Formats: sequence, C-alpha cells, structure tokens
Amino acid sequence: MLFFKWPFLLFMLVVLPVFFSLRKTRLWIPWLLLASYFFYGWWNPYYLLLVIYSTALDYLLVALMDHCPLAEQPTPIASRIARGPVDRFLRAAFTVAAVLTILLVCGALLGPPSLRPTFAAFAVLVFLMAAGARLASRRIWLFISIFNNLALLLFFKYARFVVQNLNQVFDSLNVAFRFADPSTLMPHGFSYILPVGISFFTFQSMSYTIDFYFGRVQRERNFLRFATFVCFFPQLMAGPIERAKQILPQFQKAPPFELANIADGLSLFLVGLFKKVAIANYLAIYVDRVYDNPEAFGGARLAMATFAFAWQIYFDFSGYTDMARGLARMMGFNLVLNFKNPYLASGLGEFWSRWHISLSTWFRDYLYIPLGGNRGGTLFTYRNLLIVFLVSGFWHGSAWTFLIWGGLHGLGVILTRELERSQFYRDRVPIYVKRAWVFLYVCFAWIFFRAASLDDAKLIVTRIFTTAWHDPRLPALALALILLVWLYEIIYESRLQDLLKFSSLRVGLATFMVLYLTLCTSGGGAFIYFQF
Amino acid sequence: MPAPIETISPPAKAEKTPPGGFAFGATAMRLSARQWLIVIALVALVVTSVPRIWKAYEPFHPGPDYRIPYVLSKDYWLYQRRLEQTSGENNIYIVGDSVIWGEYVRPDGTLSHFLTEQSPRHDTYLNCGVNGLFPLAMEGLMRNYAQTLQHKRVILHCNLLWMSSPRADLSEPKPQAFNHSRLVPQFMPRIPAYSADASERISAFLDSHVQFFAWTNHLQIAYFDQHSLPEWTLQDDGSNPPSYPNAYRNPIEVLKQGIPSEPANDPDRGPASRRHKPWNSGGAEQTHFDWVDLDHSLQWNAFQHVVRLLKHRGNDVMVVIGPFNRHMIAPEQVATFDAMIAQVQKWLGQSHVQYVTPDTLPSEMYADASHPLTQGYEELARELFVNQTFANWADRGRGAK
Repeated sequence: MLFFKWPFLLFMLVVLPVFFSLRKTRLWIPWLLLASYFFYGWWNPYYLLLVIYSTALDYLLVALMDHCPLAEQPTPIASRIARGPVDRFLRAAFTVAAVLTILLVCGALLGPPSLRPTFAAFAVLVFLMAAGARLASRRIWLFISIFNNLALLLFFKYARFVVQNLNQVFDSLNVAFRFADPSTLMPHGFSYILPVGISFFTFQSMSYTIDFYFGRVQRERNFLRFATFVCFFPQLMAGPIERAKQILPQFQKAPPFELANIADGLSLFLVGLFKKVAIANYLAIYVDRVYDNPEAFGGARLAMATFAFAWQIYFDFSGYTDMARGLARMMGFNLVLNFKNPYLASGLGEFWSRWHISLSTWFRDYLYIPLGGNRGGTLFTYRNLLIVFLVSGFWHGSAWTFLIWGGLHGLGVILTRELERSQFYRDRVPIYVKRAWVFLYVCFAWIFFRAASLDDAKLIVTRIFTTAWHDPRLPALALALILLVWLYEIIYESRLQDLLKFSSLRVGLATFMVLYLTLCTSGGGAFIYFQF
Repeated sequence: MPAPIETISPPAKAEKTPPGGFAFGATAMRLSARQWLIVIALVALVVTSVPRIWKAYEPFHPGPDYRIPYVLSKDYWLYQRRLEQTSGENNIYIVGDSVIWGEYVRPDGTLSHFLTEQSPRHDTYLNCGVNGLFPLAMEGLMRNYAQTLQHKRVILHCNLLWMSSPRADLSEPKPQAFNHSRLVPQFMPRIPAYSADASERISAFLDSHVQFFAWTNHLQIAYFDQHSLPEWTLQDDGSNPPSYPNAYRNPIEVLKQGIPSEPANDPDRGPASRRHKPWNSGGAEQTHFDWVDLDHSLQWNAFQHVVRLLKHRGNDVMVVIGPFNRHMIAPEQVATFDAMIAQVQKWLGQSHVQYVTPDTLPSEMYADASHPLTQGYEELARELFVNQTFANWADRGRGAK
C-alpha cells in the first residue's frame, strides 16, 4: 500500500477516526498494531510472518536478558554450564530451548527435504538460546539478537550476491563445486523475494536489544507496544529508523487529539506527496530511459540523467519521510527529522548529517563508536570511517556498485576532513564553491548507486567524459520544479527565511501543489528505498 | 572522565530541533488549521468552477454527422458535453458500440447518417456510438456521463457479438486487457477478466463520479496525446536516442489548438480504405462461436441494466438487435444463435421495450461478424424504415411512449 495511492487514503480514513475514538481506552495500541500489520500484509501476507517472528524473538531475548545478571559472572564457563541458571525463568527457557533443539535437529536430519535447511537454521538459533539460558549471559542474548537480525538480512538480501560471486570465483579457479541458489533453501511454497523494508525493521528492532544491553533503554514489558514500535506503519517500509528511547515513551500514553497536529501532519504529508508524485516520479521517467540503455546516449544526456537522479532520489526518499512524519504527526507522534537540505552541504561529512540522518546516526552509534570512533588517531579514524561507509553502501544493496558508492562517500568524507584542516580552504574558499563541489561529487557517486551494473557505471562515467555534449532534453517543466524546491531550500537557509512565513505564500503554494497533483500527475512506482 | 564526543560528521547548521518540539524540515510548509480551510475552499472553488468555465472557452461545434473521433474514444467528458449540446426536438440518439460508431466507414457512411437522410420526418439521428464500447462499459457510460439523456428518443443497439464467447463476455477467469476498462463496474459485479488493482479501481470510480477528474482526462486525451502533462513533455518520438519534441513546448499553446477532429481522409475508413471490404474477401471462413448462456452472461446482464436505466430516465427506447453476420456462423450453430435472439426478444417484450430484429444483410455487406460496410448501413437504414414497428416508433413525436 503506497502512501500516494487511493487504497491508502481509504486505509487512513478508517485508521485515524478509530484511533482517535479509542485513545481513551486501552485498545489504541492494539489498534495501531493491527493497522500496521494490515498495512504490511497488504504487500504480501507471508512477509508479515517475518516481521512477527523478528519482533517476537527480540522481545523474548530482551526478557531473557533482563533475567541475567548485569555483569558477566567471573566463574569459569564449564562450572556455569554444569551448575545451570539460578533464575526460574531461565531454567524454563533452557528446558524449552533444549527440547526444541533436539526436535529441530531431528527435523533437519529426517524431515521433509524442502524444510530441512529451515529446521537446521532454527536448530542453531535455539541451541544458542539454550546456551544463553544455561550460562545466564546477557552477552549471548545480545549476540543471538544481532545474529538473528543480520542472518535475516544476509539471507534475504545478500545470499544470492554472495553465492553468485563465490561461484564465479570457483569458476575462474576451475573448481567444479557450486553453491546452490538461496531460493532452494526456502520452505516449500515460499518464494525467495526481498521482504519490503527488511533493512529498516531489523535495524530498528536490533537497536532496541543493543540499547537495552547497554542500559540505554528500559525493557518494554508490553509485547503489543513493543510490536507497534517495530512496525509502526508510517515508518515501517523506509524509515526513519527510530530508536526505542524516542518512540516507546510516546507509546506509553495516547496523545491527545489536537487540531494543530492534524494541520501540521497534513502540511508535511502534502509536501512529501508533491515531492514524490509530482517530481520524483516525473524525473524517474527521464532517468530510467537513460540508465536502462546508457550506450544509446551521449555525455550531456548521461550527465543530466545523473543530475536528475540526484533530485529524484532526494525527492523520493525525503518525500516518503515527510509523508511518514506527517502521518505520525496527525496521530500525535513525532518521528525524527531525516533530511535537512542535503544538497546545501559544504562538506561530505556535513552531507551525511543532512541525508538519511537516522541511518547515519544508527551507524555512528552501533558501528562507528564500537569500532573505536575517533579515539585512536587520524588513520584509525579514517579506517573506521571507511568501514562505516562501505557497510552503509552494502546496506543499500547487494551489488558491487553500492560498495563503490559507499567507498566513494567514505573517501569524500576523509577528503573533506583533510581539506578542512587547511586554513585557506576553511576560510577563503566561498561556501557556494564548497557546496558546488560537494554536490558534483555526490552526483558522481550516484552514478554507481543508480547504474544497473558495474559495467554500466563504468560505461556511463566514460561516456560522460569522452562523448560529445548535445542538448540533454531535460524538460523545462522538470527543471522548473527542481529549481522551485531548490530555491525554497536556499531561501530557508538564508537570512530571507522570514519570507517563507508569509501566510498568503504558504496558502498559495499549498493550493498550487494540490491542484498540480490533481491535474498533472502520472502513475508511478514504489519508493526507491523500499528495495532496501 | 566523560567520553569524547564522537561524530562521523559535524552537525548541520540547518534547523535545530527545539527541545521537546518537532523539527519540520526545510521543505515543509507549516499551515495552520485555518490556512488549511482556505486551501480547501480555494481548491473546491477551482474544482467545481473550472470545468464549467472551460466549456465556455473551448470551442466545440459537432456537425450533423459528428461522431466522437477515434482518438477521443475515451474522452467521456467530451461525450457528455456532446449530449448536452444536442437538445433539438427532432433529435434521435443512437447509442451503441463500434457498429453504431462505424468502424469501417466514414462519418457519412454510418447508420445515423443514412437514417437521417432517409427519415420521412426529417429527424436528425445522432451518432452516439463509441468505438470499442461493449455493454458493461456502456452501462458505466450511460450511468455517469449520459445523465442528459432524459425524456429523449433513443435507439439502443444490441450486439450479440459480446456474448459470442466467454472471452468477449469478460466472464473468462483469465485477466485480459480491454477497452474502456474505466467504465466497467469496478467492484460489483465482479468481472473475472478484469484484473486492475484496488488503486486503479478507486481511481476509475472517482473519474466517473467527480467532474473535475473527467475534465482532467479530457485535457490529457484531447491535447496531450492521452498523457499527463509531465509524461507529455517526455513523449518519445521514436528516434534513437529519443529527442522529446515536447520538452520545451509551451503547453498553453497546445491548449489553444482546439479539440482534435476526425481526419479528413482517414486511410483506415471509408470505401477507399483497404479495410473496407467484405468479411470473406480475404478467405475467412465460417466460425464456431462459443456462445455464452444469456442467463449467466455479464454483457447481457449489463445490457439489460442499460435498457432499464434509459427507460427509468423517461426515454422512449427502441432496441435494434443486430443484424449479426449470420453468414459467418457455422450451420450447426445457427439454431443456438436463433434461440439467443428469441431469448433477447422475449425479455424485451416482457420489459415492454420496443425492438426490431432486422434481417441479415447480404454477405458482401459485412466487414466482419457484426460491422456492416457503407452499403450495409444504407441497406439497414432502408430496412428499418420499412419495418412497421420501427416506422411507427420513429413516427411518434418526442415524449410519446
């Protein structure tokens, strides 16, 4: 169910009034959860099982963690295994996990062939749970949560990429062995397709267990509330990736109904809708034709398609985020800001504090800092930055092009830092020059993000710089729309900001957007970030 | 000792989230509830008034043999406007599919043209056929775009071709693409061959119930080659690489060009065209039709609804059944076909609807199973005026029932 399609409007026309009417009862959280599951199940009901499984497991793991001592026990592992857990809950967990392990191992050895890989995977997981319960170790529960969430991601998102690359290596080494395609591991009747939003809900759920492990959040005892946090429908598919400490407190008490919230939410939603439907979907037509057949186009068209893609992905993703935040706001919830005029950044580092902020901060808190952050000198910091950006690139997709895209951004951040060390660059280079080169660098990196393959990316880069530049034919209307939003953002960051507060300007622009959407919109595909 | 502050990047200088507040973001425009009310009022004003104002601005003067041009077949707003602009006492409206519209003939070779020409009372028979229409779509067209067809004399054409197979009847449970899908019932009754998603169905429903959307479609169909404005600016001209000839064109200039009319010398229609030839001239043989049981036919059911709707609106309805190209039916199926005709006649009789079943035309006057050629239409018009039932009906004045 896409935010800009009619069924979603009907969905909201049911969800919102019922939500408001239930807010004085205890049913508002179950209602939100039901709505969120319905929203997700609309895509594919089978996917829902995955969300429920991931949610239930992390809920259980945190509950088990809560029964373990805060500090790891100094006694040797062997004696801890022999003694077993003191806590009754952990003892019961051990018994159940041990029995399940045996059953699953039997299933993996003797069960129906199509289910054996699934049984084997769960046998490993349950065995680890038995070990965690026996050792009463918070660390093992954390490990299981990370292992499980990453395993889901790895299997559904990266397994085919890894298998294909390994098989290519075997091929080049003349080794006859081949890994089977991951689809052969799926239980009977289930197709191997990437579940929508898996990168978002797994990261969100995982952040809760990590935060609980480090004592940053309280345990959420209400399963329904926790499940609603994991799959809150406005941000379920493509973020922003919320933290438990930001959202769970908001779910403790139903927010009051306020007309101002509805107005604010509608304002955000309208702008997001306009960005997605009027601009991103429009630019997508131009971009897709060029990027689907790059050898047919010359330098100007390829460069312009890259420029257009830079705006397409920005309007697509920030449009989704605006809509998500608007929907949540209508209900009285606040989701974090995910974009702050990224194309006005004057450094690559600053770009990442303006682009997909919730992901940047996630990687900062759960990868960069655990790696050591900037506490080990310049080279150590740069190593960590590069690792973070490579992982971030790979998070976006299972292809070498995404890794290169991440690597380019990592190098760009390092380069910016080095440039900022020089007083000349810091103080004498005008900000618009810095903004221009950052924008061009980001556009260059987008080539690798958007290209269908590494060969295509190389071809596009080569042709941009080697073929003649003719008329790019980006429609005047598209250019005007981009410039309109760009101008708005520039004014927003300038001393003329107060101009945008004129009531008549806002009313006029909102009316224009509604009418434009009604008159001039075309169909369009799903949001780009849904594939991540 | 406090841990050093660690960031991947310096914080942006843009908007800061107020403590405990809500950061809007640079492109968000915060409107108050009152401002939203003003926006809603302005939008409502535009939505209700612009299509009406447009009618005054846009020249549209359909002539005596006017039919909705082929390229505008899906412009239902124009169809509605055409009906609104014809309110003469002597007008008789002929509603139907491409048989009435005249698939193989020019505007002066259609049934409406010959009926007007041969009419003893000098009535004007208006071609209200739509190319590609079928009963399920006709029901939607009549219900939502032909409200002005009230207390008029209407000839309704019944084409049994639409019941000649489960596929034509759209009752085959296999998704298929067909014309005028936005006119068919979107939710009830369920059409097995129609596989649009919920969004498309709701959109089609709104198109037919909100004038503004129908008008928007009119603009797209009549001026922008059936595209939205953004798509039109990127319309591919077939060259490699595409040169997008509309990329820098002014759309206002396009709107000034007026509604497209039928080409003066349509190479696909009329006696001079290559398509205008008898059905069996290319070696076509008799066909086995997989006739649908009328009791379970979606198309027949829809046709019944159309008849009831037109009668309910006070129209004086005359149904013309066929004439189907009987020469094309395999001999062993003729009895089945006759039984179907009898069933149709029986229902019309029971519903107190006047009907005629013209004799089958000579074989060489058909272009295919149901479409006559120019001489066929002329012959059919003659035959209709000879038919006493039809002649009496045509002889009655407007409003008589």
